This record gives sequence, C-alpha cells and structure tokens, in this order.
Amino acid sequence: MPKPPHWELMIVWYFFLGGIAGGAYFTAAIADNFGGARDRGVARAGYLLSLPLVAVCGLLLIADLGVPTRFLNMMRTLKVWDPMSIGAWIVGVFGLFTFVSSALSLSSSPSHAALRRKIGLVGIFFGFFLASYTGVLLSNSAMPFSAGEGWGKLKHADRYSMLVELLLLAALIAALGAAARPLVSGHFATLFWGGLIGLGLLLPLALDLLGTRARALGALAAALVLIGGFVLRYVVLMSVQA
Amino acid sequence: MVRTLAMFTDTSLCIGCRACQVACKQWNELGLEVPEWTGGYQNHAHFTDKTYRLVRFIEEPGGKPNGDLAWLLMSDVCKHCAEAGCLDACPTGAIYRTEYGTVNINQDVCNGCRYCVSSCPFGVVSFNESTGTAKKCTFCNDRIHNGLGPACAKACPTESIQFGFRDELVGKAAKRVEKLKAMGFKDAQLYGADAKGFLGGLNAFFLLLAKPSTYDLPDNPRLPQRNVMVDSLLSIGSALVVGLGVLLSFRERGKGGPHA
Ligand code: SF4
Ligand code: SF4
Repeated sequence: MPKPPHWELMIVWYFFLGGIAGGAYFTAAIADNFGGARDRGVARAGYLLSLPLVAVCGLLLIADLGVPTRFLNMMRTLKVWDPMSIGAWIVGVFGLFTFVSSALSLSSSPSHAALRRKIGLVGIFFGFFLASYTGVLLSNSAMPFSAGEGWGKLKHADRYSMLVELLLLAALIAALGAAARPLVSGHFATLFWGGLIGLGLLLPLALDLLGTRARALGALAAALVLIGGFVLRYVVLMSVQA
Repeated sequence: MVRTLAMFTDTSLCIGCRACQVACKQWNELGLEVPEWTGGYQNHAHFTDKTYRLVRFIEEPGGKPNGDLAWLLMSDVCKHCAEAGCLDACPTGAIYRTEYGTVNINQDVCNGCRYCVSSCPFGVVSFNESTGTAKKCTFCNDRIHNGLGPACAKACPTESIQFGFRDELVGKAAKRVEKLKAMGFKDAQLYGADAKGFLGGLNAFFLLLAKPSTYDLPDNPRLPQRNVMVDSLLSIGSALVVGLGVLLSFRERGKGGPHA
C-alpha cells in the first residue's frame, strides 16, 4: 500500500498562494502587452502582488521540509521529469521574474516599459508553471489518485476561466471514476460541492453574468472565487492522502 | 557496476519468528516503537521509520487446498527496484543507487521533502520526525561493503531470506517454484524476479504462495512518474485556453488595440 507524504495545511497554502502569484503575473503580463492604457494599473498591481506571494511560497516550502536548513540541497540536481525538482527551481526562477518586473513597473520610462513587456512574456511561462505543476506533482505519485491534471489552475475573477474550470472539474471527476469517490461523496463532499462548486464557482459566475456593474458585487465574486480556489486545493490534497 | 546483489525471500519457508525484523532493528539501531494492535500477530501494520523488515502475518479464509484457513507469512522489505520510484522522485539526489544495484538514502543530503514517501509503489519509505529525513532499508549498506550479508538474511534460521548474486538467486528461485508446484501449491509464483517484468525487476524479490494482492502487494506496480508527459501537455492545453480568455477580455476592454 502506498503511503501518503503528510503534506498538510502549509502545502495547501503554498498551492493556493502559488496559484494566485502565477495567475496575477499571468494577468499582469497579458494586460501589459495587450491591454489598453486603462490596464496599466492592472498590470502594475499584478506584478507587485506576485512578488511577495512567491516569497511567501518559498518560505512555506522551506518551513515544511524535515530539515529546513538543507533547502539548498534541492539545487544540487535538476531533474526535468521530476515535478518536485522542477517545482523547487521554478519558485526560484519565477521569483526573480516577479522581482525584476515589479521593479520595472515602478519606473515610468518608456524603455523600461518595453523591456518589462518582453520580460513579462517570458515570465508568463514560469508563472503558469508555478500555478499548475502542483497538479502534475500530485498525480505523479504512487497514491491512488492518478488522473490527468485538471485542478492546478489559475484563479481569475474572469468568466472564461470559471467556465473552463467547471469543465475541467467535470472532466477530472469523470476521468477519476471510482477514485473520485472521497472527493465527491466522501468525507470532503460537503466542502467540495458546497464550498468549491457552489460558493466558489456557480455563485460568482452567476454574479458575473448578472453584470458586475456594482463594484461590491464584483469584489464579492472575486473573493468567492479565491475561497473556492483554496477549498479546491484543500479537498484535493487532503482527500488524496485520506 | 559490480555484479548485482539481491535478497530472495522464499515465503514458503518463513516460520514467522521475526528474527529478521529484530536483527534489522539491532544492527541498524532503529530504536523502540510502541506496538500497534493490528488484530493479529503482525506488528507493525506497515513499514515505519524504525521498521525496515516487517514480517506480515496473513490469514486467508479458504486459502488451503482443502478449504481451511491459510496462514501466510512473508518477511517484507524494500524491493531495491531496478527502476525505483523513490529514486526518480528525489529532488536532492539523496537517494542513489550503489555499485551493487541497491537503492539507498544519503541521510546527510535528504532534506525531508517527503516526495519519495508518496512515490514508492510499495509504501516502503517512511518519514522520521526526529531526524527530519526519509528512512528505509539500506540493504545493510555498511555490511555489504565489508563482505557481510544483510543482517536479516544472516539471522533467518530457515533460509527463507537468502542473500547472493542476483543471477544465481533467480535460478535457485525458479527451481524452487517448480518444486512447490509439483507439491501441490498451485499458486506458487515469483514476484519481481523477472528483469523484463515490472520496474525492471526487483533486487529484493519474493516467492509467494498466493497472488500478490493477498500479501498487500500490487499485482502490477508501475513507476509513478508515468503520467508526467500527458499531465504536462494537458496543463499546457488549459494554459492556452485560459490565456486566450484573459487575452480576449483585455482586448475587449482595451478596444483600440495595444497601448491605445
Ligand atoms: S521498494 Fe520503494 S523504496 Fe524500495 S527501491 Fe523500490 S521504490 Fe524505492
Ligand atoms: S524526503 Fe529526502 S530522500 Fe525523500 S525525496 Fe525528499 S530529499 Fe529525497
């Protein structure tokens, strides 16, 4: 019988904050490159948000190690097929990108802005990687939960991604078949259906479709999506190890 | 590499005395543990950070040819897989393969990330809270490098655990299965002896008297890393979809195109 690795709340937070950091950078870089003048603020906020989040991610990962003082040992090797090794490297590399992009976003010089846009386009790749490799990591263990990646996704208060997420979750459950039982009908069912699907997806989607003219409603929808994102990571990580 | 070493555990000879389990504890100084109530003689239920050799006591109703309860014994251990999930998973390089083909954890390098714990198809690796590192059978690395066999094999009074060169042991094991079959043990079979079989063959392989699942062993263990490619592609696919969505919404909002 395979054993669970006992990755608990610290890792849930790491998955969650990593997802937001990646998503924030992703959104920022796209807004920076393809958005209009009105989107400058979005871009800057996204860059500036991703930096402290990645920093916290790194600290969480280190704190969860059995021997935190040996965290640099992760840098002894780079195994491209190994999600844990790649993940450790990505946190570092993406951290650098968020740092440079944040610094450049504080400058108003056009040449800095041009550089920042280019860097953003490369950084997107690492940000997305941080937000999604955790799904690959979880499904590549000997634990009986080996469906395709479907949950390590970004969180935007954006109807496209919420729709995609609903579809991916449905696909995930279908692909898992019997293995999804602890998720959809076991100990975590209430959280899964109520917290994630209801509060975290359907409600904000409805708010969004009804029109988010009212700022408060928009903010509520965004907050709900974030809660849903946390619940998603919690139920997936905990039910795998249950 | 020197000639591959192996341990062959012939469960048909095991008498459940646990000399191997005790010898392992003593040689490797594994320390005390609180016993666990497992509903039978077995202790512990599973490998722990202080139990590298574990005698399993399995009661199988109707397992005997005459329909009686079969009492199966098996001294279980790390399989030292030729393709080891734990080794592939380790991001620090703490888990390595020795020149004898065995798999070992360098305790000075391991930082306790625990990915190996969830990557062993047999649940062998355990996390030790006090050292903060991962632990498992070392194939008595210190002993085999000094011309001695593993402590468990040395202590076994019935030669249920045999130590030697892998090729020789596989030959012996094959003969033993034939003999047992002729004696009427129709389910006698080798587990992990075939180097072309699962995980490239196990360097600690077994002779079982029933199907592997009876012993809590997977019938066809696979490397956990098998999904990496497909999963990565799927996640790139979802990145593109989400990216497109975000792009479209900024396009809409930006109206006049980039930097208008
Ligand atoms: S049995 Fe598990 S711990 Fe032992 S070598 Fe194989 S994968 Fe590693
Ligand atoms: S816990 Fe130690 S041995 Fe296991 S994968 Fe992590 S660094 Fe390697």
